[in-house]
Amino acid sequence: MKTTDEIIQTYLDDLKSALAGADKATVQDALADAEEHLRTALESERTEQEGLEESAALEGIIQSYGDAQEIAQAYQSWESSIPSALAATPAARRTISSANGKSYPGFFGVYADPRAWGGLVYMLISLATGIIYFTWAVTGISVSLGVMVLIIGIPVSILFLLSFRGIAFLEGRLVEALLGERMPRRASFTDSNLGWKERLKQLLTGKSTWLSSIYMILMLPLGIIYFTVMVVLISVSLALIISPVLAYGFNIPVGTFIDGDVVRQLPNYFTPLISILGVGLATGTMHVARWVGKVHGKFAKALLVSD
Amino acid sequence: MIDIQETHKKFRKELSAGTVSLALLSILAQAEEPLYGYQIGKLVGAGDEGSEASAISVKQGAIYPVLRSLEIQELLSSERELSDSGPPRKYYQVTESGKETLAAWSKIWNETKTFVDKVLGGDYQ
Repeated sequence: MKTTDEIIQTYLDDLKSALAGADKATVQDALADAEEHLRTALESERTEQEGLEESAALEGIIQSYGDAQEIAQAYQSWESSIPSALAATPAARRTISSANGKSYPGFFGVYADPRAWGGLVYMLISLATGIIYFTWAVTGISVSLGVMVLIIGIPVSILFLLSFRGIAFLEGRLVEALLGERMPRRASFTDSNLGWKERLKQLLTGKSTWLSSIYMILMLPLGIIYFTVMVVLISVSLALIISPVLAYGFNIPVGTFIDGDVVRQLPNYFTPLISILGVGLATGTMHVARWVGKVHGKFAKALLVSD
Repeated sequence: MIDIQETHKKFRKELSAGTVSLALLSILAQAEEPLYGYQIGKLVGAGDEGSEASAISVKQGAIYPVLRSLEIQELLSSERELSDSGPPRKYYQVTESGKETLAAWSKIWNETKTFVDKVLGGDYQ
């Protein structure tokens, strides 16, 4: 006779294989929903009925929940009708529908693309988040290793590893909101019926814990690069754009260059051209933000969402 | 030969695609407190043999993706709460825009119902 845990696990495995090829985040959501439902249903039948034949009751619950194939299909059809989390706003719907006809928003169309703005914001805040993640991960790992020989070392390491999971989930929400990459909408929970040894084993040997810590460490160099590149591009673009104002309004020399050993200056009527160059650079910056956002979304998904 | 049973099933599925969203939105709008998936499933009687909902062929498990999609459209909001037993539960409730949408959808539903009834009753001329 199988235990109820085994039956639930078998069902979840079936569901997972039925969802093969689906978006990883969809799979994680579907499994979380199924597990929540089956356990809640079993618990409520247990309280309603003394001496319940649990395995049989669970079979009935699964019967009403729907077989794995059917449920997998339901998730895939709903998931495919929603292009992304961003589709909730009308502006995003327009971009998505225009993106369907044309794979790219067009040179100036990028200003109407929420992904580009999201990427820009993400890159600017990544310095702060990168520093926090890096510090936390490095502190966690080194403190854990340092106190490993003491009795208190074990709970300390466990707390840090658990916090890595929490941070990975939060970063996932941030990535989905700003970069539009589909990430899990709920944290993966550990089965409360498992013994603490089993849970500890999952935490220590689970790929996701370690991949999350690698992500957290890599976020510092990435954050520095993203932030620097964005700040430089934005400030240079703005400086170029306002050059006519500087030249005509404040008499500040613009467009000086060195010719041999003479410093020369472009005539002021050139400054509108410089300004146009600035607009081009600003628009290019938006494209860079959009592209980096897309690539970073894929990278975050690879490291933060486990199979 | 076309499998008659199969075409019936397909027709049911196509019909239920929109009506389930409407039904779930309405249930949550009528509820006095946020509900979680299992409760909602119980309320619509999904998956019960012989109940109304099984007639439109909704399995309890098929409710969850619909809830998620309504949430993404900002018609529902959700909150996770720990429970004494079992995993944390996700509680759903209707947002303001969900209430407005429900009113609009109910209107569309009534129009559709009147139209279909009229045609089926043979008095469409």
